[in-house]
Amino acid sequence: MNILQILLLALFAAFAVLRLLGRGRTASRFARWTLLCLGAVVVLAPFTWLLAAVFKDRSVLNEYIFLPPVEQWSEKTLNLDNFRELFKGRPSLTGPVYFWEYVLNSTVYATCTTVLQIFFCSLGGYALAKYEFRGKNALTLFMLGSMMIPSVLLLAPLYKMVVDLGLVDSLAGLIIPGMVGTYGIFLFRQACLAVPNEMIDAARLDGCGEFGIYLRLVMPLVRPMAAAFCLICFLGNWNAFFAPNVFLHSQDKLTLPVVLNLYLGEFRHDQGVFLTGTALAMIPPAVLFFALQREFISGLTSGAVKG
Amino acid sequence: MLKDLPNPPSLVMRFVSNFPYGRAPLWLLVIAVVSVGLRVLTARRHEARPDLVIVTHTEAQFDAYRKAIPRFERDHGVKVQLQFANWASLQARLQNAILAGSEVPDLSEVFAGSLGFFTRGPAEDFGLLDLTDRMRADGLDQRLVQSRLSLWSTRGRVYALPHDVHPVMLAYRRDLVEALGIDVSKLTTWDKFVEVGRQVSRDLDGDGIIDRYMLDMRYDGNWGLQVLMFQRGGQVFDQQGEVAFATEDNAQLIRWYIEQTRGPHKIGYECGWGQPVVRAMTDGLVLFQWAPDWRSWVFADEAPALSGKMALMPLPAWTPGGRRTSTWGGTGLMIMKQTRHPDLAWELAKYLYFDTTQLGERFLATNILPALKDAWNLPEFATPFPYYSNQRVGQMYAELAPEAPPVYSSPVDDAGRLALDRAYNRSAQYYSQNGEAGLLEKIRAELAEAAESVRRLARREKILAKGTL
Amino acid sequence: MRGKVRQRAVRSPGRPRYKGKAPYLFLSPYIVLTAAFFVVPFVNAIMLAFYETNGPRSHVFVGLDNFVFLFTDPIFLRALLNTTVFALVSVFIQLPLSMALALLLNSGGDKVKGFFRLVFFSPNLVGQVLVGILFSVLFTPRYGLINRGFQMVLHWGLEARWLSEPRLIMPAIVLTSLWLWVGFNMIYFLAALQTVDKTLQEAARIDGASPWQIFWHVTLPSMRHVVIFVVIMSVIGSYQLFELPLTLLSESYGYGANDAGLTLITYLNYNAFRCGDLGLGSAVGWVVAMIIFIISLIQIRLGRIAEED
Repeated sequence: MNILQILLLALFAAFAVLRLLGRGRTASRFARWTLLCLGAVVVLAPFTWLLAAVFKDRSVLNEYIFLPPVEQWSEKTLNLDNFRELFKGRPSLTGPVYFWEYVLNSTVYATCTTVLQIFFCSLGGYALAKYEFRGKNALTLFMLGSMMIPSVLLLAPLYKMVVDLGLVDSLAGLIIPGMVGTYGIFLFRQACLAVPNEMIDAARLDGCGEFGIYLRLVMPLVRPMAAAFCLICFLGNWNAFFAPNVFLHSQDKLTLPVVLNLYLGEFRHDQGVFLTGTALAMIPPAVLFFALQREFISGLTSGAVKG
Repeated sequence: MLKDLPNPPSLVMRFVSNFPYGRAPLWLLVIAVVSVGLRVLTARRHEARPDLVIVTHTEAQFDAYRKAIPRFERDHGVKVQLQFANWASLQARLQNAILAGSEVPDLSEVFAGSLGFFTRGPAEDFGLLDLTDRMRADGLDQRLVQSRLSLWSTRGRVYALPHDVHPVMLAYRRDLVEALGIDVSKLTTWDKFVEVGRQVSRDLDGDGIIDRYMLDMRYDGNWGLQVLMFQRGGQVFDQQGEVAFATEDNAQLIRWYIEQTRGPHKIGYECGWGQPVVRAMTDGLVLFQWAPDWRSWVFADEAPALSGKMALMPLPAWTPGGRRTSTWGGTGLMIMKQTRHPDLAWELAKYLYFDTTQLGERFLATNILPALKDAWNLPEFATPFPYYSNQRVGQMYAELAPEAPPVYSSPVDDAGRLALDRAYNRSAQYYSQNGEAGLLEKIRAELAEAAESVRRLARREKILAKGTL
Repeated sequence: MRGKVRQRAVRSPGRPRYKGKAPYLFLSPYIVLTAAFFVVPFVNAIMLAFYETNGPRSHVFVGLDNFVFLFTDPIFLRALLNTTVFALVSVFIQLPLSMALALLLNSGGDKVKGFFRLVFFSPNLVGQVLVGILFSVLFTPRYGLINRGFQMVLHWGLEARWLSEPRLIMPAIVLTSLWLWVGFNMIYFLAALQTVDKTLQEAARIDGASPWQIFWHVTLPSMRHVVIFVVIMSVIGSYQLFELPLTLLSESYGYGANDAGLTLITYLNYNAFRCGDLGLGSAVGWVVAMIIFIISLIQIRLGRIAEED
């Protein structure tokens, strides 16, 4: 019997006791919060392990499940070696490439793609939502169909195109093909459908140009969706692996997921450094999520609730 | 609205709250602009189009070539660009580039087993330069370890230069083994090894979990099985590239392997890679480890605390007097047919791989034995290695290298190895459920089925080679 | 000026009918970019399904041979089976878990909700690829966190070879996917729960219905739009499962021992990109697209039936 099992048994016993004492409502509230906390513990366990592994020395990575007992804390067991190794430059033709450069690359890629997608997808979504025009149904059908094709399949011909355009091995080569996505168009279409037509008609009567209506009237009304999409798009591109892996060659152009994968190479298996990089790479998306939680939730679910 | 507030906010705040898309997109826009600016400012200048581009996938080789290339550039008056890419992305990149018909580097190092991808279809369509005639003209086919050419040939033609031989020895905890009274010089055959192993592999503290194993053996077959198979002379494919693993000999091997990893007297335990292996060796969880030349270096690098406690020994043979080594992996250098300077590329390849002035130093940095036999006489190869109890590691590997078994490849290389694994795993599962009864028949049946599945794929490939259905 | 405006004004009540160029202009970036970067590769991919190829040079027209090969290949059928099993598991294990969590969380205050939402969503902040690699480390026999965790609570599993024992590979993938996506779907359900009419629930409770009955007969039906949406998204996502098994089982290209972890897209990736058989890969792409198409049709059907209720 170890401490974990004792703890679990104690919780269960407390619940049973409450039940028996006739305090049904307290019992169920107790059970509810216990289950939620247990769930949270299970979900957070890998992160805790990650965080502990980041500070553990290579030689004791597997010695202790999380951190060594306090008596054993020393330079040998806990240190910042992983960070040092991570921030050391990686070899390249033009000199060592440092970690901040990879962060910068990822930032450029994720933010530029997101910003461009917000612009183009909102334009397209608004057009689909609020206009009737020839070919609208055909276009919608085409968009739906294109979402069903596994994107892995398109990688090779797309690579050829990017090479032919001279954009291979550059962030532009990743950003430009990724500037518009059908998922985004549909999300914005969903949001724009909720804008009352009367407002748009009134704006037209006032002499607002079409683009003006889009920009000054409709977009502010769909801000929650824009924020939600911001997060989704940023997250997807920040963590994207396959396209950057193939399209980027030079060491100084790589994005974070691609670089982190390099630490688990064929001969060397530097788990500590990889884990440190992963932990650091989580920070920007976490910050963004924290700031946008509410909008994200409302934007995401408005699409689903409408069905 | 904003106008009604007692203190009208500044211009910036008005802009922020009036930005149509909202706060978050605005922030992202600002960050995007700033980061693009930073990126442009700090961008490195890349050189003008070089004459040759060569890519490697190992840092050690990257360092070695970086030192060597300037001399080549001076001697030939050309510009050579060396790139580094890890294997997974290099492979993806090469494959996609070839599939899409776009530009590839002139020379590329690849790992063994990947030749299959590049040699599908009719020989005229291969993306690789045929090196057979050049090798013969330079007499290289005599100076290299013959068996290595098999790894890089298909249909009798050579398509890559072998970098190494990768003979396999066993690395063991000399201190623990001696403390147990085991004399490794007596472990000359696998039967003897298993006999000792059974006495060694046991539960030491009575908790039902075995605390000490004799050998690190991979649970699902894979390279663990293949290393042993090559040692016995078994092959996945034969010299003509046909499936060759559905043999009685392999069936016996699989039975043996299952017994040693899952039987009641098992001696093998899978240790994985990286930290778990280090932990296993330090704790004495396994006494013997597989040590091809490259891995002997990795152990020294990852588990420095065991310096002086480790030693190497040749593999036990399958039959008395039999082969005492195997081979595991390999790197080769391919030249792409698209290259604009094939002769120059050939010169560079030879220079990097077979220039004896560099090979000694490289050995000291990696423990990897080159495929060029002449190089083994260099003094560096006779250096005692303190980590392995001052054994002359280079010489030990060099002695075993001529015996390293050939490994034949085929356009459906990968599929072949996957199929062999599949046969192994199904047989192992059968054993877990039914024990010894009917095991051998099951293994034979699985091998036959696996071979047939590879032949189906090979038939597809042949259609491609022929050009018609 | 006013005259011009009146000419352009739209009069019909429901849908604005606009005769100008604006919609086309607005959609032109999408159309141009898609035409350039999607249509050409897409058509390429479609046509390739009927060829055997080795890149740009050799093409052999084989008609339906690729499809015949697929449906007679036991390995492809295994991939189909695995993926379907995974899709069923997502619907019948993952979604009920998400729903349960959402129900548990629904009664909390805003701050508490926000905290737990962040906690349960946080796995999604790491990409699938890094999660796969992270979990391949966590599943290490003897030393991995998950092995140790199971051992401490259940006295089993220290040596469980999650990633090399065929019977444990799919459970390992399922566990990882649960960690990733239970929180994600929980958010949908949580938002939907807030739109449920509390008076109906109150009425049912007063009538003497048990909590389970309230849930099954009142709460769930009023959430049906979201539930159907989430189920469909889950199933479609399951059929496209790729990066997770690929990185968990990286040594065998996502196959796993005895093909236990093989999914349709990993099969596609292996054949198309490792073996160079783009034709076969395209054929698999067709099959996956067809499956997703059929599922989407079912969704529309179910949606209509739900409307009629």
